[in-house]
Amino acid sequence: MLRMAFRTFRRDWNAGEVKVLLFALTIAVMAMVAIGSITDRVHRAMGEQSSEFLGADYTFESPRPVEPEWIERGLSDGLDITRSQSFATVLSSGNNFQLVSVRALGGKFPLKGTIEIAEKPFTQGVVQQAQPKAGTIWLEPRILGVLGVEVGDKIDFGSIQLTVDGVIVAAPGQASEVFNIAPKVLINLEDVKKANIVQEGSRLSHTLFIAGEPAVREPYIQWLKEQKNSTQRITGGKEGTPALKAALARAETFLRLASLISVVLAGVAIAVAAGRYSQRHFDYSAIYRCLGMQIRQVHKLYLWQLLMIGLIGSGLGLALGLGLQSLIINQFSDVLPQPMVGIGLAPVITGALSGLVVLLGFALPAFLQIAKVPPLRVLRKELLPRAMSSWVIYLLSIGVMALLMWWQSNSLLLVGILLAVAVVTYLLIRLIAWFIFKIGVWLGKRGSLAVRFGVGQLKQYPAFTISQISAFGLAFIIMLSTVLLRSELLSEWQSQLPENAPNHFLINVQEQEVEPLESLLKENNVSTEGIYPMVRGRVVGLNDMTLEEALDENQQRTGAVRRELNLTWTTEVPEANEVTKGQWWSEASADDGRTEISVGEELAERLGLELGDVLTFSIGRLEIEGEITNLRSIQWDSFQPNFFIIFEPGTLDEFPASYITSFYLPLEDKNVLNQILKAMPTVTIIELDAIMAQVQSILNQVTMAVEFIMLFVLLAGVAVLYAVLQVSREERLLSATLLKALGARKKFIRASILAELALLGLFSGVLGVIGGEILVNILYSQAFNIELVLHPWYWLVVPLISVSFIGVVGWLGLKHLLNQPAHQVLREL
Amino acid sequence: MLRTKELTKTVNSQGQGLTILSDVSLTVNEQDTVAIVGVSGSGKSTLLSLLAGLDLPTSGEVHLAEEPLHQLDEDQRAAVRSQHVGFVFQSFHLLPGLSALENVMLPIELKEQKRAKERATELLEKVGLKERLQHYPNQLSGGEQQRVAIARAFASEPKILFADEPTGNLDSENGDKISDLLFDLNKQLGTTLVLVTHDNRLAERCQRIVRLEGGKVVADEASKAVLDKTAEL
Repeated sequence: MLRMAFRTFRRDWNAGEVKVLLFALTIAVMAMVAIGSITDRVHRAMGEQSSEFLGADYTFESPRPVEPEWIERGLSDGLDITRSQSFATVLSSGNNFQLVSVRALGGKFPLKGTIEIAEKPFTQGVVQQAQPKAGTIWLEPRILGVLGVEVGDKIDFGSIQLTVDGVIVAAPGQASEVFNIAPKVLINLEDVKKANIVQEGSRLSHTLFIAGEPAVREPYIQWLKEQKNSTQRITGGKEGTPALKAALARAETFLRLASLISVVLAGVAIAVAAGRYSQRHFDYSAIYRCLGMQIRQVHKLYLWQLLMIGLIGSGLGLALGLGLQSLIINQFSDVLPQPMVGIGLAPVITGALSGLVVLLGFALPAFLQIAKVPPLRVLRKELLPRAMSSWVIYLLSIGVMALLMWWQSNSLLLVGILLAVAVVTYLLIRLIAWFIFKIGVWLGKRGSLAVRFGVGQLKQYPAFTISQISAFGLAFIIMLSTVLLRSELLSEWQSQLPENAPNHFLINVQEQEVEPLESLLKENNVSTEGIYPMVRGRVVGLNDMTLEEALDENQQRTGAVRRELNLTWTTEVPEANEVTKGQWWSEASADDGRTEISVGEELAERLGLELGDVLTFSIGRLEIEGEITNLRSIQWDSFQPNFFIIFEPGTLDEFPASYITSFYLPLEDKNVLNQILKAMPTVTIIELDAIMAQVQSILNQVTMAVEFIMLFVLLAGVAVLYAVLQVSREERLLSATLLKALGARKKFIRASILAELALLGLFSGVLGVIGGEILVNILYSQAFNIELVLHPWYWLVVPLISVSFIGVVGWLGLKHLLNQPAHQVLREL
Repeated sequence: MLRTKELTKTVNSQGQGLTILSDVSLTVNEQDTVAIVGVSGSGKSTLLSLLAGLDLPTSGEVHLAEEPLHQLDEDQRAAVRSQHVGFVFQSFHLLPGLSALENVMLPIELKEQKRAKERATELLEKVGLKERLQHYPNQLSGGEQQRVAIARAFASEPKILFADEPTGNLDSENGDKISDLLFDLNKQLGTTLVLVTHDNRLAERCQRIVRLEGGKVVADEASKAVLDKTAEL
């Protein structure tokens, strides 16, 4: 039987009959392996890169010294571990003082990424991986102005003096600590003890920076997680800063989706090709049966065929996919995250195996049909095998699809969404088939002969037409979704980082400095986002109870009730905020004697706060009560100053406020900062531009990655188009030849082919638009939390593109029909 | 009606020129019925495709309805076919996407004649398929498909009809019905008929039999039926 299977395979190969199927499978596996590998590599490289923001693969933070055995264990495992301590202290030089946040490093830093140190403020620095030498200190540029020192000067640090050795231009961890008010300094861990600066009871955080090979690192982290208590925190590479975290999560969702899409497209192409293959083998099967072969044997023969196709197709696809992904990774190495990681085994195995699974799921029903042909077909050609219940086929395909999706995505939600879309799409396709019939009849009465002929071609085998429309339509659904999701992702990221977004913040501006500051900025043509008051206060009570009485233990651990908060007042809802419950205050309510406050909804949820609750704040030595009249959602990654709690204007007037402002300053105008520091030495400058450039570059890379994937989905779509055109080739050839024999001119044949393709394009385009809108909106709401959006512009564009695309590709594939010699074709068929 | 002069067709086969037809000269007059017979590979089908202008000769001339087919390009030959020629094929070759009625209407419409639907219906009634107008080819039996093909062949009122083994794919009962139909319609409409066949009974129904062997005409004579008839006189 195996020998016969080989012979059949060779014959089919020579006759070009398995090539289409093989082509579809190869494209499928190629797309899966390439997309899988690229997404996997980009994904892991991005993980690596976000480690650079953290300065390590993981950090372990603890309020108490970390057990030495824990560190020992990691080091003996071969991991890199750098110990550090962070605390706040005051630096002084002469009469100048500055509160700073100190990080004392006990080893190489950072373990991932680099640190950039310069000799002068606001200049380019030298990139390195090191720690300050004992007796030296690295400072953020703004400290120099406040303390009135330069590189090489000495400053007081506890009981010792440290030499200023450099200015920090960029350091890991900056992005996560943007709103840490105190400027940062780096020193050597040895100097902490010498300076006698940390006493028993000092608030101090011990951090371990951990890096190493995943195989060693992950088990150790797992073990640490089991050891640690609730006050200790492990931060993983992928959980960098809020803005990056969101960007990475979205990119991941998108990449996952793209993999799934390639699976679906592959299935469609394979189903179309397999259906055709099996029809072409009905005659052989009937003859085998006539010659005495049993159904079982014919089944076996064709299952061998399927296996051979599967192995060859998977092998080819695997080789091409791997080649393609390394080509693309190399080609775009400039824009992809660096350093790029190697090929992972998992996506390769997944790709090759899912090729086989897809082949089985989508081709098996068609192949099983072959053996069921009644032997009588040798005499009566019109006899066909009893069709397998279409429900069985659909359920099998859907089952296989679900399995693969789950395998690739590990997300039941995504699988559920896509399956729901599959069912809806199926129903839509039935509806559109009915539509075709109606329009066909209508055109039959009115259209020209060529158009009627084209419609006739479509009406000929409704099932085949439906599978073509479904394949084309699906490709367009997916491409439309990709385009829409991509632009959605992009525009969200862009709006997150608008071109002239404020990249510098000034805080600690005193009331009497507000006017001079405004005029100084005006002189230099710097426009601000407004200057806001800020009062620091602590929450001490809720509804006339102390926090200990009002909150459970877990709630009491919430950061916002354990430290001082920045309180502000505004007339309008701040830009990146939205009132989700209750009512924002109006001028009319200003004099009603109540002190209204607005609370961030996440905080409210955490503390179980409701509208009408009254919070007590301690500000300085005074207390003030505020009634919650509305809750806000806050976009924390907006790079705007955000506040948990906002007061009604006028209610905080009796408290001393400092002011905060933000503005956009291009790189070449950096000297404005020096002017500000000279005029107002106590003002604190926070430079966001370096951090934002880091974030922007990551976002750019993510966007590029997304575009590659889009390219693949497009290619997979073209593969489907090609498969469908290939399998209908002979029928078209026969029709065209007969028309010629009957005296039709080329022009007529051309017109009828174009009419058919145009109609096919139109129907597929309509299907693409309807399906795409549904899919995108489901994904918007499920994955991105965006409400219903329609895209009317695409209702026109997609059918137009579909008509021209199917027209052009189809015409390229079919124009040879015009030149086939009629006598030859008629004899061959 | 149809005239050939030293018609020769050579094809390239594995690097060597293979002569399929050589020096075939024939004249078919209007309303003649001619059978082309011969064993497989004798060149019958090639001759038919040259006569109908589906293919071009390597040398020699073909004149159909006074048109020099060997000098015309493909579209021009198609135009000649749509004006003058009808076809019946061994494997019917109905267009699968069109109903029986639409298949028969097609040549009339290609010829841009009026009343396509009425005339196609009439013809289908004549071949006994009044009840099958809206059926598609895959819903018809072989005999029914060939009847539709015959109706289609006569639809454009061709001056000349080419038939390639018209009964080759049918059982003898259906085959007889089809050949009756073919000759009846031919007589009614005064068409010239050129048919290629293995079937001696079918060939005998023609006035003339042209026998091919190895690409050459070895006999061109009145059929036995005609001879018998002449003998009776």
